[in-house]
Amino acid sequence: MASSTPLKSILKKPPSSYPATSSSSTSKADRDREVALYHANLLQQRKDVEFTIVLNMETLIDFPHAGPPHDASNPSLSDARSFKELLRPFRPSDYDALIVERNINELCGYALCPNPRTKETGGGLYRLLGMNGKAKDFKVVKKEELEKWCSEACAKRALYVRVQLSESPAWEREGAQTVNIDLLDEPKSEEDQAVEKMRNMHLNNTGDAERRQDSASLALERGETGAGRSGLMDIRIQENQTQDPAQPPSLDTEELSGRLDTMHLTMEGHTPSFGSRRQRRHEDEYGSPGGEDIDVDVDRDWRV
Amino acid sequence: MSADDDRAIKLREAGEREAARLWRAWRTVHEMVQDRGYELTEEEVKISLDQFKANFTGPDGTIDRRLMRFSARPSDAMMIKYANVPTANNPAAASADIGTIWIEFLPDSSVGIKQMRNFAQYLASNNFHTGILVTNVNITPAALKIIPAVASETRIECFVEQDLLVNITHHELVPKHVLLSKEEKTKLLERYRLKDTQLPRIQLGDPVARYLGLRRGQVVKIIRKSETAGRYASYRLCV
Repeated sequence: MASSTPLKSILKKPPSSYPATSSSSTSKADRDREVALYHANLLQQRKDVEFTIVLNMETLIDFPHAGPPHDASNPSLSDARSFKELLRPFRPSDYDALIVERNINELCGYALCPNPRTKETGGGLYRLLGMNGKAKDFKVVKKEELEKWCSEACAKRALYVRVQLSESPAWEREGAQTVNIDLLDEPKSEEDQAVEKMRNMHLNNTGDAERRQDSASLALERGETGAGRSGLMDIRIQENQTQDPAQPPSLDTEELSGRLDTMHLTMEGHTPSFGSRRQRRHEDEYGSPGGEDIDVDVDRDWRV
Repeated sequence: MSADDDRAIKLREAGEREAARLWRAWRTVHEMVQDRGYELTEEEVKISLDQFKANFTGPDGTIDRRLMRFSARPSDAMMIKYANVPTANNPAAASADIGTIWIEFLPDSSVGIKQMRNFAQYLASNNFHTGILVTNVNITPAALKIIPAVASETRIECFVEQDLLVNITHHELVPKHVLLSKEEKTKLLERYRLKDTQLPRIQLGDPVARYLGLRRGQVVKIIRKSETAGRYASYRLCV
């Protein structure tokens, strides 16, 4: 019953030196400090994120770490994974800065490409592209834009990544809204590599290809589905289940008779409907029960 | 005159212009370092163009920027100016936050994170307190973000050669800026019964503030000529 703390009335305000601020026990200075701290923390968080971006950029300048068998079209798994991880807080503008930094170090702008960037020979600020293609392929491009990459393919790969980056700054992103980045050329797993090798092999010995195709079509004709075939789609043909017993087709005289009076109006099987609609309207306006009767009679005559 | 001769003359003229530009930047940097209070001799500051060319011409006949580097130690007066005043709270004041300065001209045609990191590492490994990097081109924004990151080890300041062709403080419209020591600052605030935030302000990126290497919280006294009062002093807080 007897507690150590004295009982307090919940209606009475707790005694305070400054009654105006009694709603919260803190003084104005404390509240001000809290607000200031809150905003300072937000700013600090933002600065931290910005600094991480710079550090990530620094790491990405020296990419890729993997050796010669891997290149931009087939990056090593670890490189690709860390590339995606490091790129997470980036915005497109940061990505542009990364490309510039890599170019300063004479590397291709795509971070997973180990090649040096191209150097256009000759002067001039602009280059003409697509001279022997169609007119829509023709482009006038700044020389420095071309010098960012080692090849056209790398430019495509790099820009493919760029469009996936989020425009909103990393410190404003929600936790759930993490950026998932796909590469144009994902690193291949070992099975994929094996499959690719097989495919290349097929292309190489073209003499075999014909025979193989023949045997494949033969197998298809026989209805054999080879276990080794890895088709893109898994097709299974299934018959629809029928509920009603099948009915033989019959000459539907009723329908034919309905069509016959407009048969002369049909054009290539289509009957323009405005004539009959006008007729209908005509009936609505001037038609009488008697007139309708006559129509019905006429119809009956025709049918008999 | 043949075309080759013509081209050779043009090349030489371009080289001369470049040498003159670099010489002016070199002199301005020296004046700047001297105005900040570092120890430099008069002949180091007032180097003639011929002497400059003789010192810094590389094997290929042009001025070699990699040779253009020097360091300077702070003078005693400067140490006093930057000294921390012992206060009641803090009787054992820390030593002056100032040290040797290192100045380097960079020949690279583009300056990125890598170059900035190298410079910062060089400063840190040689225990230079401050470093001034003079570049030919603008530094990439990403590289500038390195500066606050290494601020705890060294201070890095960056200038573009073009900004140093003329010493701006010699212009008649630029009044004299004098840095106040911490002691002078507290006296000033006491005398006018001010908090330091109540002073007029000068930005950290102000050309003169950059020239003097001001830091946040320092106060400069600006002495202007006045038609009515002869001389008029105002004070500005660096923010």
